[in-house]
Amino acid sequence: MSTEPGPPEGQEVAGEGAGEVLELPAASRSTAIALDELELVYAFIYARVGNRPDAEDLTQQVAMKAIPRLRAGAPATAIRGYLFATARSVLGAFWSTRLGLSEVELHEDLAMAIPAGPPSEEPAERARRILDGLSDNYRRVLELRFLHGYSLKEVAAEMRSTVGAVKVMQLRALRAAAKVRLDG
Amino acid sequence: MGKRPENRVDKIVSDLLRGRRLRLRGEDADEKEAITAAARLVAAGQGVQRMHPAFRKRLAAALETAPKGGWLTRRAALVAGLGVAAGAVTGGLVGRSLDTLAPGPLARGVPVNPEPGRWVDVGALTDFTVGQGKRVTAGAVGAFVFRSSPTTVTAVSSICSHLPCELWWNGGHGSLDCPCHPASFKPDGQPTNQAYGLVALNQVSVRVTSTGRVEVLGT
Repeated sequence: MSTEPGPPEGQEVAGEGAGEVLELPAASRSTAIALDELELVYAFIYARVGNRPDAEDLTQQVAMKAIPRLRAGAPATAIRGYLFATARSVLGAFWSTRLGLSEVELHEDLAMAIPAGPPSEEPAERARRILDGLSDNYRRVLELRFLHGYSLKEVAAEMRSTVGAVKVMQLRALRAAAKVRLDG
Repeated sequence: MGKRPENRVDKIVSDLLRGRRLRLRGEDADEKEAITAAARLVAAGQGVQRMHPAFRKRLAAALETAPKGGWLTRRAALVAGLGVAAGAVTGGLVGRSLDTLAPGPLARGVPVNPEPGRWVDVGALTDFTVGQGKRVTAGAVGAFVFRSSPTTVTAVSSICSHLPCELWWNGGHGSLDCPCHPASFKPDGQPTNQAYGLVALNQVSVRVTSTGRVEVLGT
């Protein structure tokens, strides 16, 4: 099953005031506009892969897939919607390839799902809300590791535990964090 | 035989914390939830990310050489935050160089004027708390109504101006937040973060009747 989004159709947006197509005499100007749109896509992808090299690769894939397929006359909402639909497709393929799962298996719980929480709040605040949903030990190990950048040894020393025990606790805490829903 | 899951996941976490790529293997699929949670926590700990200038430059070069049609409409340019002068919106700009259009202030969201429209009762004024947003529907029009003072109300569309998603009222932050991407809006419909160049939410007509009822112009 393909999750590739189709390009935005002109007839779907007829009522949106598709507008006249601007002639773009300066290629660099239209590129600058596209880059501004892609900044949003980059932030969206980065928030899901957590590292710059992958976020850059995936953003470039989105740009190369989506931009040439955008139809003349498509309104901004369709352009952005299509860019984000492409981003979800690219993220799905990314996780699918890296984890050896079908995109159908990924569809419900990873890249393709609309976030249940309020992603508009500051990322640090979002992390705080996730951590607040955990037990004290789980919260502490993730705080030290992810927010304060402690090494495993440092976390173990801080928590008066062993590196092995902290590793296990970290894994369990991440599993628990994945289940925290930010609906409220 | 593969390594223990806590070791594999910790290797992934360590790589992420060092800014490295996600290097995953098939056996990591068993821990996909933990791995994606780790990626999201790492990202959350780093704040909202923007493209690195060097990557932006590379991407610009790639876009310059990619085939593209005249995909950008005037409306798209407006919504993208280019800020065309209001008089230019309705005519005379086709063919004009975009280089003459300097970024300007964001446009205020246009009002929702359904035709035929009708005033729909959405509740008593006393049902609305001052300073808080309340989601209402007036036929096909979804809106957030705000009681801005004991006697006045305002309303904006409940649909994000960026992606077509239903906003939700974040009472703690006093903002309308989009569940689909990092965007939020003030009760007057203006975006809270000007950096992304979002247009304001559409305004929705609302009034208070002499009997203390709130009505929204809907369908």
